[in-house]
Amino acid sequence: MATSSKSSLRLFFWTWGILTVVFVLIGIFIPHRYMPGVMSNDANLALTTTILFTICAAPVAAGVYAGAIHILKHHRYRGDDVPPAAPPIRENTKLLVTWLTASTVLTVFVLVWGLGALAAENSTSGNPLVVDVTGQQWVWTFSYPGTQVVSNELYVPDNREVEFRVTSEDVTHGFWVVNFGVQVDANPGVWTTIHTTPDKLGTIEIRCEQFCGLNHAFMDAIGHVVTPKQFSAWLASQPARV
Amino acid sequence: MTTTLEKTETMSKPQGGGLARRQNFATAIILGVILAWVFWFVARHLFWQGSDNFSDQEAVMTGAGWMIGFWIGIGAFNAPFQWLVGRDNSHDDNMYYAGKDLGRARYWKYTTDHKVVGVQYIIVTMSLLAVGGILAMAMRTELITPGTHFVNQQVYNGFIAIHGMVMILALIVAISGPWANFVMPIMIGARDMAFPRLNALSLWTLVSAAALLVTVLAVGGMPVGWVVLGTIGDQAGVGMDFFALAIVTFTVSTTVASINNVTTILTMRTKGMTLDRLPIFVWGTLFTSALALYAFPFFFIAELNQILDRTASTSFYIAAGGGTSWLQANLFWLMGHPEVYVILIPSVAALFEISTVMARKPLFSYRTAIGGMAALTGLSALVWAHHMFTSGWAPTLGGPFMVTTELISIPTGIFFLVLVGTLWRGNVWMKSPTLWMFGFIFNFIIGGVTGIYLSDVPLDEQLHGTMFVTAHFHYIFVGSVLFGAISALAYWFPKVTGRFLDETLNRYAFWLVFIGVQITFGAMFLSGLKGMPRRDASYSFAFEHTNFISTIGAYIIMTGMLTLLGAIIHSWRKGEASGPNPWHANTLEWQVPTPVPLENFDVDPIITEDPYHFDNEEPVHV
Repeated sequence: MATSSKSSLRLFFWTWGILTVVFVLIGIFIPHRYMPGVMSNDANLALTTTILFTICAAPVAAGVYAGAIHILKHHRYRGDDVPPAAPPIRENTKLLVTWLTASTVLTVFVLVWGLGALAAENSTSGNPLVVDVTGQQWVWTFSYPGTQVVSNELYVPDNREVEFRVTSEDVTHGFWVVNFGVQVDANPGVWTTIHTTPDKLGTIEIRCEQFCGLNHAFMDAIGHVVTPKQFSAWLASQPARV
Repeated sequence: MTTTLEKTETMSKPQGGGLARRQNFATAIILGVILAWVFWFVARHLFWQGSDNFSDQEAVMTGAGWMIGFWIGIGAFNAPFQWLVGRDNSHDDNMYYAGKDLGRARYWKYTTDHKVVGVQYIIVTMSLLAVGGILAMAMRTELITPGTHFVNQQVYNGFIAIHGMVMILALIVAISGPWANFVMPIMIGARDMAFPRLNALSLWTLVSAAALLVTVLAVGGMPVGWVVLGTIGDQAGVGMDFFALAIVTFTVSTTVASINNVTTILTMRTKGMTLDRLPIFVWGTLFTSALALYAFPFFFIAELNQILDRTASTSFYIAAGGGTSWLQANLFWLMGHPEVYVILIPSVAALFEISTVMARKPLFSYRTAIGGMAALTGLSALVWAHHMFTSGWAPTLGGPFMVTTELISIPTGIFFLVLVGTLWRGNVWMKSPTLWMFGFIFNFIIGGVTGIYLSDVPLDEQLHGTMFVTAHFHYIFVGSVLFGAISALAYWFPKVTGRFLDETLNRYAFWLVFIGVQITFGAMFLSGLKGMPRRDASYSFAFEHTNFISTIGAYIIMTGMLTLLGAIIHSWRKGEASGPNPWHANTLEWQVPTPVPLENFDVDPIITEDPYHFDNEEPVHV
C-alpha cells in the first residue's frame, strides 16, 4: 500500500501542480470580479496585494491538500479491524528544514512587500486637499477647511492627494471610503487622519465599519470624484454657512 | 490517598451532612434568584435616583447577588467555611464531595471528581453552542434578504454581541473543559487534579457567568458587538452591566482552571512520565493554560473599568472625562488575540493525539510540534494591535505589529507539517474522528491563509470591519476549532460512556457541517470583498446573492449540528459498547477500566516509554 511510491508520488506532484494553478486562477478571478470599483492608488494596491498573496499561498495550500488527498488514496487502511502498526517515522530533518525554510521565505517576502507598501502609503505629496470628516449617529458630515462649505456628500478632485481628518461627536465610528481602499476610526475627542489619491472619476461609497448603535447598518454616504474644475465650481456653488 | 484527602486524614470529626449534602444545581438557582432580589432591593434604596428605571447600579448589584447566591447555593463556600470554623471535612465528607455512591446526582452537584467536572463541561459546552447557534440562525434568517423583516435592527443588534461572546466561551471550554479535565489527569497518571475543589469552582463560576450572559437577552440585549468599544458600551442599556459582570466572573473561572491545569501537569505526573514522554495533548493543555493565565486578567480589567465608568462616574473610556476608548481596545485585544490561541491550541493538540492513534504511527517530529506551540504561545502575546490597524491609535506601530503577526504563519505551518507528516505513510483508520480531522486540515488552510491578507496593513485598510473578517475567523472557529472539538468528542466518547458515538449519524453530521461551512463562509468572503461591513442588520442590494447563499449554508450547518446532537443523545443511552480501549491506543486513559473508577488507578502506573509505540505487525481483531 505505502510502497507503490513512484507512481503514487507522481500523482501527488500532479495534484499539487494542478491545484496550485487552480488556486492561482481563482485568486486572480475573484478579486477582479468581486472587489469594489478601484478609484484610488490605495484601492489599487489592495487589489494587487490580494492577488499577490493568493499566488504566494496557492502552492502551500495546494501542497497540503495534495498531501491529504494522497493520504486518503494511498495510506488509508481498508480492513475492518484495528490497522497494523505503520512505519515509526519520528523525524525527517530534510523535510523539516525544507518546510521551515519555505515558510520563512514566503513570510519574509510577504512582509517585505507589506512594509514597502505601507511606506509608500504613508508618504505624502505635501500639498493635500484637507477634508474634515465628522461622524455622529448616524450620519457623516464633510467640511472643507478654508471655506465655509459643509456637506453630507463628499466631493473630491481627481489626481490630487486628499487628507481626511476624522473625528466623532458621540461614539466611535469607522470612516471607510470603500472605493478608495482606506478607512480609519472616528473617535470622539481626537482627530485621526488618512490620505489617498483618487485617480478615477465617478461615484464612491462611504460606509461605517465600526458598530455604532441602532442605525449602524444605514450609516452610508455618497461621494463623487470630479475634475478639479468641477470641484471648484461645486465649492463655489455651496451656500456659505456659519 | 489522593490529594483531596491527604490534608484531612488527621481530621476526625465527621459531619452529619445535613443541609450541605442537599445542595445541588436547583438550590443554587433558588438561592441565586433570592439573593439577586435582595441585592436589587438594597441597591434600589441605596442608589435611588428618583425614577423606577432599572439603573446600572441596581443591575450590577442584582448580578452580584445572583453570583454570590448561586455559589453559596451550590456549596462552593462550604469547605472554606468549615475550615474557618475549625471543622474541616472528614474523609467521608471528601469522598461524598467527590461523588462517591451518588450515581447520577453527582453531575448536578459541586463534585470534585475531575471526571464528573469533565462531563459537566461537555454539557455546558453543548448548552452554550445551542444558545449561540439559535442566535446565529436568527441573524442569518434576518440577513436572507436586504431590509429588516425577521427581527428588527434593535433585536438584531442585541443578538450580535451575545452570539459572539457565548460562542467564544463555548469554544474556550470546548476541549480544555471536557478533556483537560476528564482525560488529562489520567494521561499523566494522576488520581485527580491538583486542586479538586478549584476544579469544581471553575466549572460552577462558569455556569453562573453563562447564565448571567444569557440573561442579557431578557433585559434588551446588548447592542454593541462583542468587542464592546468603550464609547458605544457606555451608551448601552443595563444588558451591558450584566455582560461586564459575567465576563469578570468568567475570567476568574478561566484563571482558576488554568492554575489547576498548570500545577497538575507540573507536579502530579506519575513515575517515569518525563516531559519528553508527555502525550502531546498534555503539552497543548500546558501552553493553553499558561497563555490563559497571561491573557484573561486584561479582560477582567477591561470590563471592571467599564462597570466603574457606568456606575461610579469614573471615565476610563469616556472622552469627555479625559478617557479614551483606545484604552478599552488595547485591554480587550491584549486578551482577545491570545484568546484565539487559547481556543486553537487545544484543538490542534487533540488532533495530534488522535492522528497518531488513527495512523498507527508516532507523532511526526514531536519536538517541533512542542516548539510550534511554544512559539505560538509566545508570539500571540505580541500581536494584539493588529486588531487596531485602522483605529487611528499609534499608526507608526503598524509595521512592527505586521511583522509579529505574519511571523505567526511559521509556527502555524508547523502544525500542518506535523499533522500531515503523522498521517503520511500511516495505516489511516477512517473512523469518524479521522474524518473531522481531514475537515480541520481543509478548513484551517483557508482560515489561515485569509488571516495573512488581514495582517497586511494596507490591505487591512480595505478589509477590516467587513464580512471578510467574519468569514475568516468563522473558518478558524467553526471550520477548524469546532471540527477538532467534535473529533475529540468522537474519540474520547467511548471513555466517558463506554459506548461509541454513532458512526453513521456522525458521518452524516460531518458532511452536512463540512458542506455548510464552505457554502456559508465561502459566500461570506465574497460579501466582505464586495464591501459589506460586519454587524449590519440590513445591507444594500449589491450583497443580495452572497447573503442568500450564506443563509442557506447556515441552515445546512444547523441540520448537521442537530444530527450530531441526535447522535450524542442516542449513543450515550444505547450506543454500541466499546470496551475500555477501542482504538488500541497507548496513552494511560485507555489503560484504565471504563467507566473509570474514582481515583483512576489502583496502583500508580510507571512509565518507561512515550505512548507512540504501536508495535502490532498484524491487524488486531475486534
